[in-house]
Amino acid sequence: MLGIRLFLIGIVSASLIGAGAYVFKLRADNAILKANAVKMESAITEQKELITKQKEDFQEILAANAEMNKLVKNLEKDLNELDKRFNKNNRDIGKLAVEKTKLIEKIINKGGENAARCIEIASGSPLTEKEKNATKKSEINPECPSIANPNYITY
Amino acid sequence: MEKPTPLEMEKIHWIIITSDNADQVFAKMKEDGMDPVLFGLTDNDFQLLAKNFARIRNQLMITNDMLDKYKEYYEASDNETGNNTKNSK
Repeated sequence: MLGIRLFLIGIVSASLIGAGAYVFKLRADNAILKANAVKMESAITEQKELITKQKEDFQEILAANAEMNKLVKNLEKDLNELDKRFNKNNRDIGKLAVEKTKLIEKIINKGGENAARCIEIASGSPLTEKEKNATKKSEINPECPSIANPNYITY
Repeated sequence: MEKPTPLEMEKIHWIIITSDNADQVFAKMKEDGMDPVLFGLTDNDFQLLAKNFARIRNQLMITNDMLDKYKEYYEASDNETGNNTKNSK
């Protein structure tokens, strides 16, 4: 009889201890799950921020590319204008230089000075007030108006 | 990062020499104490030189503009926050 009692007490005690241990384990698991959930939320937030940043970056890159394309087109236009100045209406600069040597020499020297200034601007030299305010054809640097005279509009 | 110092170009004087004025040009050079020698280009080569110059200028402008854009991208946040975190990925 005593043996049966002890056996039953043992079973009940073991059950209580087991239940207690299980509850502790559940609590511990719950804490881990909560911590994981917090980490997941944090990771999701970071991912969302990263995606937003990437979208912004992409827009910035598109805008920068558009600006760059515009610049390249304008520079190409300046180059074409130079070609036109040499060859407009079948102009022969050599023949003109023979006929009007001093005049062409003066024009070439002025053009050389302007072209040198264009290099300075292209290398980062700031524009002068005169260059910034030039709006008339007579005021501009005809070698590179697109970079030297931002307020000049070609008609 | 500091940008490279802008160039300061030297002034070059072009002399046009033809069969008619050659003697005069050399005499004037001697008179001015210069060596009577010129490094010549034909009119066509002069045009090519001008175009090459313009192409170099364009390339320089594009490279410089690109540098500005990179600076703006990588350094804009530094000015705002005083650190280097935003675009350092």
